Amino acid sequence: MCCCSSFFSYGKTSCPVGLSMLYLNRWKGPLWSDWTAQALSAYRFCIKMFNSHGRKQEVDYMSGKHSPRQTILIADDSEMNRSILTDMLGDEYEIMEAENGIEAVSILQKYGNSISLLLLDIVMPQMDGFGVLAVMNKNRWIEDIPVIMISAESASVHVERAYELGVTDFISRPFDALILHRRVVNTILLYAKQKRLIDMVADQIYEKEQQSSLMVDILSHIVEFRNGESGLHVLHIRTLTELLLKHLAQKDSRYQMPRSQMSLICTASALHDIGKIAVSSEILNKPGRLTEEEFATMKTHTLIGASMLEDLPVHQGEPLIKIAYEICRWHHERYDGRGYPDGLKGDDIPISAQIVALADVYDALTSERVYKKAFSHDTAVQMILEGQCGQFNPLLMECFKEVEGILEEELRTNTQAKANQRQMKNVTEELLRHEELSASERTLQLLEHERMKYSFFADMSQEIQFEYTAAPSMVTLSVYGAKKLGMEEIIMDPHNNEKVLEMLGRDNLNIITKALHNTTPEQPVIKQDHEIRINGQKRWMRTVGRAMWSADEPPRYMGAIGKTTDIHDERLRIDALVQMASHDPLTGLFNHNYARERIRERMELLPKGRFALAILDLDHFKDANDNYGHMFGDHVLIYMTEQLRRCIRSGDIAARVGGDEFLIFLEYKDNVVAAMDRIFHSLAGHYEDFKISVSMGVARTEIVGKDYDTLFHAADQALYAVKRAGRGQYRFYDDTMKEMLSVISPIDGSDDKFVSDR
Amino acid sequence: MTLKECYAALEGDYEGVIARLRSEKMVQKFVLKFLNDKSYELLETSLKEENYEEAFRAAHTIKGVCQNLNFTKLYESSSKLTESLRSGKGEETDELLEQVRKDYQQTADAIQAFGAEG
Repeated sequence: MCCCSSFFSYGKTSCPVGLSMLYLNRWKGPLWSDWTAQALSAYRFCIKMFNSHGRKQEVDYMSGKHSPRQTILIADDSEMNRSILTDMLGDEYEIMEAENGIEAVSILQKYGNSISLLLLDIVMPQMDGFGVLAVMNKNRWIEDIPVIMISAESASVHVERAYELGVTDFISRPFDALILHRRVVNTILLYAKQKRLIDMVADQIYEKEQQSSLMVDILSHIVEFRNGESGLHVLHIRTLTELLLKHLAQKDSRYQMPRSQMSLICTASALHDIGKIAVSSEILNKPGRLTEEEFATMKTHTLIGASMLEDLPVHQGEPLIKIAYEICRWHHERYDGRGYPDGLKGDDIPISAQIVALADVYDALTSERVYKKAFSHDTAVQMILEGQCGQFNPLLMECFKEVEGILEEELRTNTQAKANQRQMKNVTEELLRHEELSASERTLQLLEHERMKYSFFADMSQEIQFEYTAAPSMVTLSVYGAKKLGMEEIIMDPHNNEKVLEMLGRDNLNIITKALHNTTPEQPVIKQDHEIRINGQKRWMRTVGRAMWSADEPPRYMGAIGKTTDIHDERLRIDALVQMASHDPLTGLFNHNYARERIRERMELLPKGRFALAILDLDHFKDANDNYGHMFGDHVLIYMTEQLRRCIRSGDIAARVGGDEFLIFLEYKDNVVAAMDRIFHSLAGHYEDFKISVSMGVARTEIVGKDYDTLFHAADQALYAVKRAGRGQYRFYDDTMKEMLSVISPIDGSDDKFVSDR
Repeated sequence: MTLKECYAALEGDYEGVIARLRSEKMVQKFVLKFLNDKSYELLETSLKEENYEEAFRAAHTIKGVCQNLNFTKLYESSSKLTESLRSGKGEETDELLEQVRKDYQQTADAIQAFGAEG
């Protein structure tokens, strides 16, 4: 049958990676000329496809005809039943197997139209045959993929239901091998024929549209040529018309129309001036002002254009002709009835003509003509808005105002895009000639190529990649992702799936879902950090997702794609850095900088609160260092810290300010003296032989206000006073200490620091 | 023992299956494969665990396979068992299960004898 099978029997393990390169090269052509001679006649290559259970499947592409061997998907939970069918059909068709409904759905999702037929059992675990049919209906796969149901369930309710859900045929067990085979072949042939016809029609329509738009372009260019207008005028009008039309439809539902209608108006807009063909070129190209008589002649181009269309011997009744007629005749009418030729008023002027009129005026103003220079964009906009070129529909004026900012850019890029489109078309034609492929088939192959590429990179990247479709609600995980999370690759209804909820947590799931729903087609990307449970361990992960919106108006939420990466280690490192930057390494207390920030925050948060800041200093600490060594000194400081922690409340702030200086900050209600007294006394004591005695200066916001530096300085001055008075006590700052020096922070440039026991 | 004799021993319809599947070789291959099918074990365990939904599917699969191979006797008893399990455990389930056990044993014995000679 197919030499593909012999290929595999020679080298089952080695469908080479290079094949995808060859595949690529086919599009480039000449590089692989060595191959060409033999290859052109009958070279084919095979792509191994693995379904989710790793059963090897093969699909081959004949290079000559590019007609892949057709694939049948068999969904049945009994291995026996599947292999009977495989035996009967495997010679002629590629077979893929699914052992339950979910697997079948996932294969359909993955391979889509490259599956030519589904043989479907009814009774299966996880999701039964009717479930599969329901999904196929929801996604409209049933329109493209024929289904033959094979079941021992021959009750007429089942048969009826199956036909209602769109199956092509229902075969009851036990089946006759010959009949089953014949029915399978017939169904596939029928659908293939239908598909070919659809492709042909689609190609013809495409061709026809291309041609008609080309003809319109040529025709209108002839008019412009006579007119001495820039060759871009028609393109500009089309771009402006499309822009205004879309914007108007968004703004007011009365102007919403199907896409096809919009595209007709845009195409027809190019014909607005065809009547000028009948106006003499002396008038058209007269540099100066027109006489009244000449202007009257000029005006006739509207009616002439209209009657040219009206008198067309063929194509009467075509919507394009009808719209072009409106535009030709009425694109010089004005909303207040002061235009020509018919003096129509308000919405009696068809919207197509109203829009083209505005587009025409704008482009005429901004372009150079024999009788005038080009105005700048801003001047043109101003002139239009001031009504210097006649009255337009107020709603249309609003649209104009809203889009005027992007007009220049749109005109430039869109004109370029049009040129590119032409180039594309040439390329397409080239391809068509060489590859003898229909556009639709080629698209399928490109898609297949993309799919290979995607799954290759997904496996390589070691990221959890996911795809979510809203209808049916289903998540597909990359192979790596599923393994890493210990979950199935396909998860139906994830919002109610216990494993998903356990892994992600309901809150995270809701946050992500909500964030995706709140995106817009313009800004569809979200980023979330969250802690999830993987194999029982909590880890920090970062999810970057992109919502998928439909192209409809208004756009519908279709689902999302994205990836989740493990940022746990990174996060821990950052946490550690934050800890390092804010804490004193020896005692684990806040450092001064960090404490300052916290204290400022606290005071701002509670503007009515009363606070006290104490600075304390270990008396004779230098002795501890000198007599017992620095290690001992460090132990004293750690001991001191423990005492300090014990006597403050959880909301208070304690920090190490410098060598043996500490800071305490607290909020108090009434008796701050008692509080400070308690702290002071609980710090006194012994560490081994070293007697711990503390000097402490306290400043209160009630006295000095809530500026941190002032508060700190005041406490410092109070501490100075204590040192002066002989240490081992505490004092509150009062005005008498105003002129005191400070222990820690000499200000006013004074170096005369109290050098006590440092 | 020929395939025909094997069918006689398990009380199946030899002529019927050859008429439908049209190849003695193919029938033989799947008859021999029958013993590898795990549905019978699944039926027993799921009934023991009182998982009647699973038991229904297992019985249904046995029925389907027997139907494919024209194992008439086992088909008939498994078919009845399937129906009695369709909506949970039925009154006659135990009795029908006994019959399926007997018929399955008979079928398995016949195939084993056939396989041993073939």
